[in-house]
Amino acid sequence: MATAARWLLAKVLGAVFVLWAVTTLIFFGIRMIPGDPAEAILGGPGSQASAAALAQVRAEYGLDQPLVVQYFAQLARLAQGDLGNSYSLRLPVSSLLGEQLPATLILALLSLVLAWIVALGLATWSTLSGRGASLVSSGLEIIGAAVPHFWLASVLILLFSINLGWLPPVNTGSAEGLILPVVTLALPLAGFLGQVMRESMLNATTSPFALSARARSETEGGVLFRHSLRHAAIPGIALSGWAFGSLISGAVVVETIFARPGLGRTLLSAVTLRDIPLVTGVALVSALAYVLVMALSDLAERIADPRVGNL
Amino acid sequence: MSTQIRSASARFSTAVGTIFVAALLLTGCSSTEPESNQSSQTPVSGGNLAYATGDAEPTCLDPHVGGNYPQALVSTQYLEPLVSLNNDGEIIPWLATSWEEAEDGLSWTITVRENVQFTDGTPLNAEAVRANIEHLKDPETASSTGFLALAKVTGTEIVGGYTIRLNLSEPDSALMESLSQPWLAIQSPTALERSKAENCESPVGTGPFIVDEWVKQNSITLIRNEDYNSPPADAGHKGPAYLESITWRFIPDSASRYAALQAGEIDVIDNAQPDTIDSAAKNDSIEHLDAPRPGASNRIELNSSKPPFNEPLVREAFIHSANVDAGISSLFFDTAERSYSPLSSVEELSYEDAELFTYDPKEANRLLDKAGWDQRDSQGYRVKDGKQLSLEFPVSTNQSIPAEVSLFEQIQATAKEVGFKIDLNLLDLSSWYGALAENNYDLVSAPYTKVGPDVLRTLYHSDGIVPAPSGYFANLTQVDSPELDKLLTEASRQTDPDRRAALYEEAQKLILEGYYILPLYDQQNHFLYRSSVEGLRALPTVSTPTFYDVWLNR
Repeated sequence: MATAARWLLAKVLGAVFVLWAVTTLIFFGIRMIPGDPAEAILGGPGSQASAAALAQVRAEYGLDQPLVVQYFAQLARLAQGDLGNSYSLRLPVSSLLGEQLPATLILALLSLVLAWIVALGLATWSTLSGRGASLVSSGLEIIGAAVPHFWLASVLILLFSINLGWLPPVNTGSAEGLILPVVTLALPLAGFLGQVMRESMLNATTSPFALSARARSETEGGVLFRHSLRHAAIPGIALSGWAFGSLISGAVVVETIFARPGLGRTLLSAVTLRDIPLVTGVALVSALAYVLVMALSDLAERIADPRVGNL
Repeated sequence: MSTQIRSASARFSTAVGTIFVAALLLTGCSSTEPESNQSSQTPVSGGNLAYATGDAEPTCLDPHVGGNYPQALVSTQYLEPLVSLNNDGEIIPWLATSWEEAEDGLSWTITVRENVQFTDGTPLNAEAVRANIEHLKDPETASSTGFLALAKVTGTEIVGGYTIRLNLSEPDSALMESLSQPWLAIQSPTALERSKAENCESPVGTGPFIVDEWVKQNSITLIRNEDYNSPPADAGHKGPAYLESITWRFIPDSASRYAALQAGEIDVIDNAQPDTIDSAAKNDSIEHLDAPRPGASNRIELNSSKPPFNEPLVREAFIHSANVDAGISSLFFDTAERSYSPLSSVEELSYEDAELFTYDPKEANRLLDKAGWDQRDSQGYRVKDGKQLSLEFPVSTNQSIPAEVSLFEQIQATAKEVGFKIDLNLLDLSSWYGALAENNYDLVSAPYTKVGPDVLRTLYHSDGIVPAPSGYFANLTQVDSPELDKLLTEASRQTDPDRRAALYEEAQKLILEGYYILPLYDQQNHFLYRSSVEGLRALPTVSTPTFYDVWLNR
């Protein structure tokens, strides 16, 4: 149990460190870009805001304070769980995130699930069907992993919305509208996961324990499902934390093309508008989700593979 | 912010759009359902119209706050200004029935309609107008466009229940034009008393539609105002709008926007790109509305405050070295017309002179020789006193669409032939403003939307060289001419329309003949819509679409 507590403590400390680093990086990073946050609050650069209006905003948001003071003030606020108010939308960042987070989470989780299904499917099929299938699936995986999201999205819209008319090209709020975005995010990830999974599955089917299983007159299917699948899953699990992070960054593209609400699109507009509290908020939530999923995949990996070391 | 800030993802859309539209052209457009073309039919009431904008999502739905084009687009549906313009550019009644300038020009008396109510039940009257003027001038509101437009207004006086007098510090010939802009629309004084955040979420006006719900990053739902009775003088009908509701979607990616239009998910899109307009022309079920924005034309400005463009001969040489026409017709698929004026062609007082802007490399070479840039280095660029003739051209990819960036590249190539080296820097908006603030540019292109020729004063009066505290300044040519200043100041105070027109013509001549700018074309503002949409038009003020007369023929 002591190991479990130590594991948990390490994860929590790591998370706190990541959150602090993200906050600090964004705080100073955005201020290094030329431009004035007060202008952002007044409607963006070039807004021709009057001197009086700028002074008013600077005082209101504490932007007339020295940078270090502003930095520690922000840390103090964040430590109390207060994400502040968005400059551009004039609403609490926490409520904006609450609105946008579910859409992105659903998108990312569905994509992760679909990517797993496709990757495992390809790996299983190619392992069962021999060399030719292996070549075909590795080809598919390489293409999948290399395809950029925006290209795939355009092709899918062209095919399924314009030519066939089956699915809406932009978000309609219905479940149907989720299909193309999920596929767009899932296929490149499936290609990547599939490459790793097939490799370890092939290794597993030729390893000594598979031979001994066969010697116990286990069928090929039995060897695959009882033994090899677990081996294929382990690198997949280890990569899923990373994959989830990549899905959130992919969401920026996909949410923009399919006109979906979500964290990705919020981040894009917040960056353009120099909305520091909102950028910080989105980054913190993404970082937190990333840390959480990393911890979960670490845990899952320990359960699936005793060699990593149980808690 | 009258300057047009295009959506965040414009750059990213470039890549998608290019691939996507190329693919569309290859596969051909398949949706060719038969559509009836009888616009003489009786309008049908009811239905929901889906609009998709490529402009940024407004940060506040009250256009008094800030004041940019994305706000104008949507607020045109639910807020109404005091006056409008007709197609000839004349001021016509809207919420105001009459207006009169005092003899000394130091006040305007404006009377508004009776029996008009805001959608929260508050009556429209002189007090309501006063509350709006005060709201616009209040630093708390953080208005920029409306605040600038009312710069000369010192106070208000209630003359009667429906009549108000605006007092001015000096005569303002542009006042009624300013008041026609959507950024100065009249809102319910009761609603204005709520918090700023609340008013940003759901502003209350007298318009044909009401803001019902705003789902951030997704859409705004507008529903019909059943009691509507205040259309502008040039509207097509009276009474409530035909449409029951409008879904106002934000679809930043131009290819997705067009795909949604083709698939019939969306009825009207804005910010249609030249290649899309070209391919839509072959689609029977899609129509095109070309409504250029008023104010300044899109132009390249030459920074005359430092070498080499402080030398008029070099400016003239540059202008003759640029082959603009060929680029416009090929890159814009003939959807944009060449301009030779500092003002948009929709501006009544726009003056143009094509003679000055001929492509003439021979003349350009002669002028450069004469200006002392008579040596060339090994790469063919001109040299004087060991210095290369190089020009910094920062380009904002948020504001210049891909076709415009390509046009700049073509200008770069033709200018190279006579020995100019142009460094095109593609920058995001913040860095671009940064470069301007540091005076680190020789060429620049920046849009500016405003109703009326007084925009010339904003852009070319020497007052505009002094940066605002934010570092921003509007006079990007940095032309500093007492003669021009005098003309622009006088024109803005001139009450006699003929005299005013003459002064603005004189001012435009000075700007063109001084070779401070290279006019390109009107500010592009293209809408594509399904042919089932009847009665769509853009308001002659700042060319925002109005859906009051629109009905669905399906």
